[in-house]
Amino acid sequence: MTGTTDKIYDLAIVGGGPAGQAAALQVAAAGLSVCVIDEQPLPGGQVLRQPAAAGAGAGWMKAAPYRRLAAQHAAFVAEKRIDWIGGFSVHTASRQAEHFRLSLVGATSRSISARRMLIAAGCYDIPVPLPGWTLPGVMSAGAVQTLLKAQGIVPGERCLLFGTHPLMLVLAEQIVAAGHRPAAVCFAQSQRQMLGRALPHALRAMRTPGPLLAGLGAMARLRRAGVPVHFDASVQRLVPSTDGNGLGAAEVAIAGRTCSIDADLAAMCFGFMPQSDLPRAMRAAVAPAHPAGWRTLNDAQMMTDVPGLYVAGETVGVTGADAAMAEGKIAGAAITHDLGALDAVSHARIASAAIRQRERLNGFADLLAAMADPREHWPEVEADTLLCRCEDVPCTEVDRAILQHVDTAASGGASAAKLRCRAGMGPCQGRGCEHSVMRRMAQARDLPVADIAGFRARFPIRPVPLGSLVDPD
Amino acid sequence: MTGPVSITIDGEAVTAPSGASVAAAMLASGRQRFRDDTRGSSRGMFCNMGTCCECMVWISHGTGWTRLRACLVAVAPGMAVLRQEPELA
Amino acid sequence: MRSSAPPSRVPDVLIVGGGLVGCACAFHLARAGVQVLLAEASSLNAGASGQTAGSLHFQIERRFLEDDGNGSGEIDRIVSLNRLAIEEWAGLENALSRDLDITMDGGLMLAENEADLALLQQKSAREAAAGLATRLLDAGEARAMLPGLSPTVRGAAFQPHEGHANPRILADAYADAARQLGATIRTGTRLDALSMTEARQYRATLVGPAGVETLVVPQIFVAAGAWTASIVGRLGLQLPLFPVPLSLNVTDKGGPELPYLVQHVGKRLSLKQSEAGNFLIGGGWASRFAFRADGSIDLDTPPLPVAESVSGNLQAAIDVMPALRHRSLVRSWTGITCISADQLPIAGMLPAAPGLFVAAGGSMFTMGPVIARLLAAQIMGRAEEADPIAPFTPARFAHLNAFAVLP
Repeated sequence: MTGTTDKIYDLAIVGGGPAGQAAALQVAAAGLSVCVIDEQPLPGGQVLRQPAAAGAGAGWMKAAPYRRLAAQHAAFVAEKRIDWIGGFSVHTASRQAEHFRLSLVGATSRSISARRMLIAAGCYDIPVPLPGWTLPGVMSAGAVQTLLKAQGIVPGERCLLFGTHPLMLVLAEQIVAAGHRPAAVCFAQSQRQMLGRALPHALRAMRTPGPLLAGLGAMARLRRAGVPVHFDASVQRLVPSTDGNGLGAAEVAIAGRTCSIDADLAAMCFGFMPQSDLPRAMRAAVAPAHPAGWRTLNDAQMMTDVPGLYVAGETVGVTGADAAMAEGKIAGAAITHDLGALDAVSHARIASAAIRQRERLNGFADLLAAMADPREHWPEVEADTLLCRCEDVPCTEVDRAILQHVDTAASGGASAAKLRCRAGMGPCQGRGCEHSVMRRMAQARDLPVADIAGFRARFPIRPVPLGSLVDPD
Repeated sequence: MTGPVSITIDGEAVTAPSGASVAAAMLASGRQRFRDDTRGSSRGMFCNMGTCCECMVWISHGTGWTRLRACLVAVAPGMAVLRQEPELA
Repeated sequence: MRSSAPPSRVPDVLIVGGGLVGCACAFHLARAGVQVLLAEASSLNAGASGQTAGSLHFQIERRFLEDDGNGSGEIDRIVSLNRLAIEEWAGLENALSRDLDITMDGGLMLAENEADLALLQQKSAREAAAGLATRLLDAGEARAMLPGLSPTVRGAAFQPHEGHANPRILADAYADAARQLGATIRTGTRLDALSMTEARQYRATLVGPAGVETLVVPQIFVAAGAWTASIVGRLGLQLPLFPVPLSLNVTDKGGPELPYLVQHVGKRLSLKQSEAGNFLIGGGWASRFAFRADGSIDLDTPPLPVAESVSGNLQAAIDVMPALRHRSLVRSWTGITCISADQLPIAGMLPAAPGLFVAAGGSMFTMGPVIARLLAAQIMGRAEEADPIAPFTPARFAHLNAFAVLP
């Protein structure tokens, strides 16, 4: 790359959310040099997406669930020794000899080198195909929530929240607080299923009872605000508005009876999957994540099988922002020790406190994962439902590629189908459709999804304008 | 920077708060439709976090047209946004 | 585990490798009634055949002009083979009764300076002598054909049949046709042991989903790309084939329209627009091998991209077609091809091992269909008197096997 200078950092962190911040603070406190790269202009990650408009307040950050995160965020923003590289995407990253070399693209392109690298890239809403899901106005719950947090807007009058994840309750309350009334919250699972799945984890989850009580309170408050909360209510089809350019309604089967709910905005919420493309493109080992996607494997120090490459937060499995903070601390302490800036005793003290904190949170994380489990509730797709939104590949073409050309489980996996039907070959690189292609492949071959190899991850991790790759700064 | 910023979307003047993303400016001005797909159907933004690439639009701000994720680009005075691809030269 | 029925009888020919050349050869043999078994260690088209960008290039390649010291005779014979390849590609969709996204609307090889122009002149004269029509265009003519060309382009050579095809579906198409004609194709099946019997036949052990099977065949065709040398190595034989890690870049879909294959006589550049509308940008830029723990090259893992190769390649493309700077890079991918010691294909029977055939070593997408057909004829003992692939016989490296002990 032209016109750039390599500064060698002790640590380069990808992701400025709770995990990345915790690690950066730990490492900077020891006097090591650290930079944090994020596609967002401001730090905070998705969970603390900062108000973009100058002077706009973030009232939601004062709510109980955000308090600890907000305190760390304030410390991070105040820490002058951390280089914040906001608004940049990682184009390529690899280990070369002694250093990691990252090429970054934003308004300009630049490259940096670092002795260690930490990926704390967070997670994203599982994109779940169903008839009508490509209509404008159908978004992930994360989209609706971040629009609210960062931009202060709700882009619709009647928002339908649907899926299986209790986060819908939090979001619905935030929409109410913003002065709107959601059309309904539709949980695909029945209350009985939800409680049955939760029960085995209930006792351990009581170690951190706060979120549970908050959830129950939210349900009561929503009902008081006149927002229907339905269970055993699966959205089967999203129906266009009369002009065809947006969402008009949803067909929902509530306890087996189909009805129509008017909506001009729909927030899909079936849970989350780790952002895994960067570690995978760097050839770090991954394993199937629950309930979808890939979690990067790590040792007790949060290091991957690529020497010097660490991971923390939702990258290693989706367990929530507080757990991510604890993992960031564990990784930060391990890296500081590894670089010789933290003695073994102090390292052990910091690490064991963070590990205890992390374990305390496991109970609630497991409970939430069980309650929210979408695996028996994926909507049915139709022949022309697009699985790959980038390349407009309908379900029927994916199925044909799977049936005609991908002969054995041993050979090819999802990549073999991708090459033959173009699903996963667009700008999102398959982040959207990989899990549904894998699921259909597993179905066709009568295998567990875990036996299907995923797409081969390729650089660039995000689409990059050619001009910005060749221009000097 | 403070105060509203003026941009154009498909040639129409739109104002948005300083710091707003192009996606937010489009949505706040009633534009849920970001592009048309290969089947001619209307499409909109999906994830608002740079992951899905559904919100890619054409943006020009001094250095020619570039196709960018509208959810990641902040509005700036004089910025032009097109939902369909311009003639490229 | 799924079990597949064993072939009805011992195959006449075992093909190792399910890429373009292996599948195409299986098709031609099966069509002639030969009993074929094809074994592919991974999945069909998983190697270089599926990793290539799919150019159909018939002009003399830049790499042959770069270093003209290795005797032009063979290169001119490649031009003759290219003429056959043009016919082969033109008839392929008919032969396989399938759309293969083949575009043959022509290709431009560009020049940006005096030295480039001189190379084009010299190239064109050699092509004319070998019977391949190329037309020299001045800058104005080139831009009239392709208005998006940069003002820096000083001239071009146009070949009317160049173009591209879809490498993601071609091997499948041959394999499907071969199966319909009775060929047996096994994926996930690797060749384990390989030896020669007293009767100078080949004993091969295959390991796959159906289990372990040992068979003795009179003829074997190794079409395994970069793995070819190590497979014939199991018989103690040497082939000077070397793996090469390359990279390619693809943009999002859109304008400007590019109906031609574009290459550059003085730079590493190959540029074209796929049927779907993406620009494919390559031309021989390096990626970085993955290595095994013992330090050897890992042919089973895709090489790592090199940032400088990506930006260098994109710069070369933008230099000749400036509008490309507006497009987005959506994927860089890497792959391993292999090259022979003299840069020419190695195709034919090894003199030291009667009945053992190979085909590898460069330009195997453009030339694959015709080489596979001619090789099938050789395997069946039906090669023409003046076999167009005779110049590429492995016999030219027979000295490397002077000390082979077989069986």
